[in-house]
Amino acid sequence: MNLQKLVPVVLTGVLLTTGCQSSTKRYNLRGQVLEKSISTSEITVKHEDIPGFMPAMTMPYKVKDPAVVQELQPGDAIAAEVVTANNGKDYWLEDVRITDESGRKSAKPAAPAHRLEVGERVPDLPLINQDGKTFRFSDFKGKALLVTFVYTRCPMPTFCPRLSSQFAKIQNDLAKSPEDFAKTHLVTISFDPKYDTAPVLRKYGLAYLDNDPAGFSHWDFASTNSGDLRKIADAFGLEYFEEDNQISHTMDIVLISPEGKIMKYWATEWTTAELEDALRQQAKTVSTPQKPLTPRKAG
Amino acid sequence: MIRIMQSACFVSAVFAFALILSGCSPKESELRGQELFDLHCAVCHMGPTPDLKKRPPRLEKLFALKQLPSGAPATDTQVRKTIIEGLRTMPAFDKRLSDQGLDDLVAYLHTLK
Repeated sequence: MNLQKLVPVVLTGVLLTTGCQSSTKRYNLRGQVLEKSISTSEITVKHEDIPGFMPAMTMPYKVKDPAVVQELQPGDAIAAEVVTANNGKDYWLEDVRITDESGRKSAKPAAPAHRLEVGERVPDLPLINQDGKTFRFSDFKGKALLVTFVYTRCPMPTFCPRLSSQFAKIQNDLAKSPEDFAKTHLVTISFDPKYDTAPVLRKYGLAYLDNDPAGFSHWDFASTNSGDLRKIADAFGLEYFEEDNQISHTMDIVLISPEGKIMKYWATEWTTAELEDALRQQAKTVSTPQKPLTPRKAG
Repeated sequence: MIRIMQSACFVSAVFAFALILSGCSPKESELRGQELFDLHCAVCHMGPTPDLKKRPPRLEKLFALKQLPSGAPATDTQVRKTIIEGLRTMPAFDKRLSDQGLDDLVAYLHTLK
């Protein structure tokens, strides 16, 4: 081997051994397409276990190439690569191949639930918190509410544990501003009412409240009966279903105004700072009781 | 002496037969445990976990120390309890793993150095 041939080989070896490689990771996915959205370039896939990334479940994925989404149809069996970046926070599908089209006719498009529009009033159904106390959204009239949905057994760090961790940060940040703290409230609702009883939710909540039960005065962890839960979920656009002792679900965060109206939804991308800013902005719409004006003395 | 040897042979034969029947050498259990570990545990304990309130502890040498990261004794019973019930922000894996699965997982955790 002469020197010219040796250089590229050595260079490649150096690059490989010095860790000069992409921070993305790739995993093989096999599953069936249940839904697709061309506008968001997303497909919902019921997939098999993806070791190192995710157990078998049904969940939405962004597809890098929008043209692929046009070609895919619900019912298609696919193989693809899940690409993760940003420490697993971002993920999408690449190299999507249809392996079987025969299921196309049998796949039924999921009936979209009627999600409330921004400005509509939230349903005022009873919820039971971590102390077994019943409350309703209307109990927080005059406060800006940030609501999300989790289940305590969720094993995916980028799903429920991430949501609860983000809410914990918001809780701690707001606690530093007594005025904003007094005008806001957080609610986490479980969509696993059979398992997430009040004591389970209390234990779960305490883990995110640094074991300080006083935090529950500003952050409720709630559940309700399965019928009312479905109504609340439909109203907020949450989709969930149980499968093999695991719950497949979408991630949804809802901002509710002090008047009890939907102000904003987050379902795909958000940051903790974005949620916190939006909540603080809503809190600012609450009028602070003013001191009575002192009448001017005449003369 | 012959009787003792006959007894020993009989016990060995029974033991070997039981192993064959169970079809479960320790190595196989560890391999199955590794699959479960990769599926359920590695994503939090062995990789980056952005945005989480608390970074889950890495699990190498879990049984090499007397105490688990939680401070509880490093025993099979305690590790099984933690997996089933969860601990602090770690979710419970209740009803998600079979008894055999738990055995396999614990067997694999013993191999982590």
